[in-house]
Amino acid sequence: MTEPQQLKGTESSEAELIERAKLGDAEAFQGLYDKHKRRVYSLCLRMTANTAEAEDLAQEAFLQLYRKIATFRGESAFSTWLHRLSVNVVLMHLRKKSLPVVSLEETTQGAEEDSPKKDFGGEDVALAGSIDRMQLQRAVDSLPPGYRMIFVLHDIEGYEHNEIAKIAGCSIGNSKSQLHKARMKLRDLLKMNRAEKAGKSRAG
Amino acid sequence: MNCVELQQSLAEAEDASGSEQRAHLMACPACSALVRELNLIVAAAAQLQAADEPSPRVWNSIEFALRQEGLIRPQRPVVSSFSARWGAARWLVPAAAMLLLALGIYVRRESPPNQLAEQVSVTLPAANPSELNDEDLLQEVADNEPAMKLQYAENLRQVNESIREAQGVVDESPNDAEARRSLMDAYHQKSLLFEMAMGRSLP
Amino acid sequence: MVNKRTAKLVAIGAIVAGTLVAESKKEFHFAVGPRAGVSVMNPYGSISVKPSLNNTVVVNAVLHSDKVEVDNNQNGNRVDIQSHLLAGADSDSGRVDYEVLVPADASITLHSSTGSLRAEKLHGDMSLEGAGAAVDVRDVSDAHVHVKTMNGPVNLDNIKNGHVEVDSLSGEVTMRGVNGPLVQVVSTSGRINYIGDFGNSGEYRLTSHSGDIEATIPEWTSADVSARSVRGEVHDDIPLQPKNHTFFSIDKGRAFAGTMGRVAVSSTVVLRTFSGKIHLRKRSENK
Repeated sequence: MTEPQQLKGTESSEAELIERAKLGDAEAFQGLYDKHKRRVYSLCLRMTANTAEAEDLAQEAFLQLYRKIATFRGESAFSTWLHRLSVNVVLMHLRKKSLPVVSLEETTQGAEEDSPKKDFGGEDVALAGSIDRMQLQRAVDSLPPGYRMIFVLHDIEGYEHNEIAKIAGCSIGNSKSQLHKARMKLRDLLKMNRAEKAGKSRAG
Repeated sequence: MNCVELQQSLAEAEDASGSEQRAHLMACPACSALVRELNLIVAAAAQLQAADEPSPRVWNSIEFALRQEGLIRPQRPVVSSFSARWGAARWLVPAAAMLLLALGIYVRRESPPNQLAEQVSVTLPAANPSELNDEDLLQEVADNEPAMKLQYAENLRQVNESIREAQGVVDESPNDAEARRSLMDAYHQKSLLFEMAMGRSLP
Repeated sequence: MVNKRTAKLVAIGAIVAGTLVAESKKEFHFAVGPRAGVSVMNPYGSISVKPSLNNTVVVNAVLHSDKVEVDNNQNGNRVDIQSHLLAGADSDSGRVDYEVLVPADASITLHSSTGSLRAEKLHGDMSLEGAGAAVDVRDVSDAHVHVKTMNGPVNLDNIKNGHVEVDSLSGEVTMRGVNGPLVQVVSTSGRINYIGDFGNSGEYRLTSHSGDIEATIPEWTSADVSARSVRGEVHDDIPLQPKNHTFFSIDKGRAFAGTMGRVAVSSTVVLRTFSGKIHLRKRSENK
């Protein structure tokens, strides 16, 4: 992937970039984008599992940020502010699509039917060693939307349950229980994948 | 505490550090393996943070919107050397930089043309952008079947012609928003051609 | 003792046998859940996708030689199929033709440089891309449809409530009965044909630099229409209520703008070319 034009001269601190961006400095906008684009885009991608949507949402998140940048006073970390904004952008988008995403309570009903049933001949494959990033990525993409959201917010992006409860409009207890179910589901998906591969190599 | 209770308790105390949990885990290999596996997953999750990069079009769209909304001052011309800095993907840089050079903007979505007309300083490139890196594209598709190579060459010719025509009108009427949009669309189409040329490859 | 003539015949026979396409068929089955993701990457050959009867992805592949393999991978609810070209493969020997059945709500990604890409009777999001691929999508609803081609023709038929984005450099794009919140086509020299009613109170943007744009719509269409060509001619067969304000000057013969039907539920239609012709035609009521 290409990189947009980098800032010339010495790298500016984030505070300096923010102040310059408030004055309309194009390079400052770009510098802030370069610093945070991966985090924002990855968040959008993990939540939507769709690259085109993730790009649109990342674009929208940055635009909303830049429109409000004049009001940023430094009370919280800039990255935190951007991150919260990005999460809100994604959630609003998912709500508009009428996906059964935001209400975590809904995931309790659909979860069992969602899980693809596979027969591995009764053999259980241990999930040992390291987990391949791509495999984990695919497994996360396969999660039901509610599970995916909670896993992304807590385990990938580092939100606490009280924060997730506010964002998603659920209770802290619900957030914890859904996270546990999401992890269990991921465990199943990863083990299925390994068992399938093990089965193939035995057959091959 | 039995296995079911242990698993239920994991939702509340994720690290299984409670005394009852620890006691059960010491006696139960299955639950112990479960907790180990869940911890592996949590540890691996960190790999996914900031793991992916958006395509150049995202920034191009953002920049255009910022200019349109008056939040950004026009940039001074950026002349890129288009050197081999990016290796095999180097035409992606000019594909995006062509847009930055000529107008500093790249757009997919419609914008109110009257706002476009308010923007100043259409910076003209030092060299004809339609000639930049065309050879790179043709080189990349050189392994294609002859008919496909010809198609790429013909489409490249057409898209360059569209850029020249649109640029001509923009030169005559810098405030003609429709002409500017035509130019932007032409650059977008050229980017698409580069993407397609890069997308196919023989082993 | 084998005489020269016989030896020659044997040699010719061997060559013919060797060059006969060693065609083989493969079939794969994958059990998936709702909203599965299926991708097929196939440098040479066609891909056709239809709905399956249950939550199963079925892939039937016809390999045209032994210089190509089919890699397949399933991770949970995602199935990836890829034609893997071996050394010496070309567009003939590397060709694979796929027929794929997927659950109707599956998202699909299809890629082929040369073959045709077809999808029908689905309602999951879809992305179809190929430089020379002919694209045909029909009977799709409530889905994002993204198409990218260089010169392949694009046919979209009966796409309801769709978010449709088509980029085609020189291929002709034909849309029949396509409506939704967004329908956008951008082309350099390809012709764009729209036959429909610009329904759904959506946003319709058809743009071609030098290709012609022809939109055939019924008189009862509700739309806010603007058309402009920098150098080409524009024609309008349907009377429009003129607009009080436009962002461009209405040069007769080069632009028109106005509303038709009920403004409250109208779509926005933007037709733009640089040098191509634009023609807004009235559909005959007998059709």
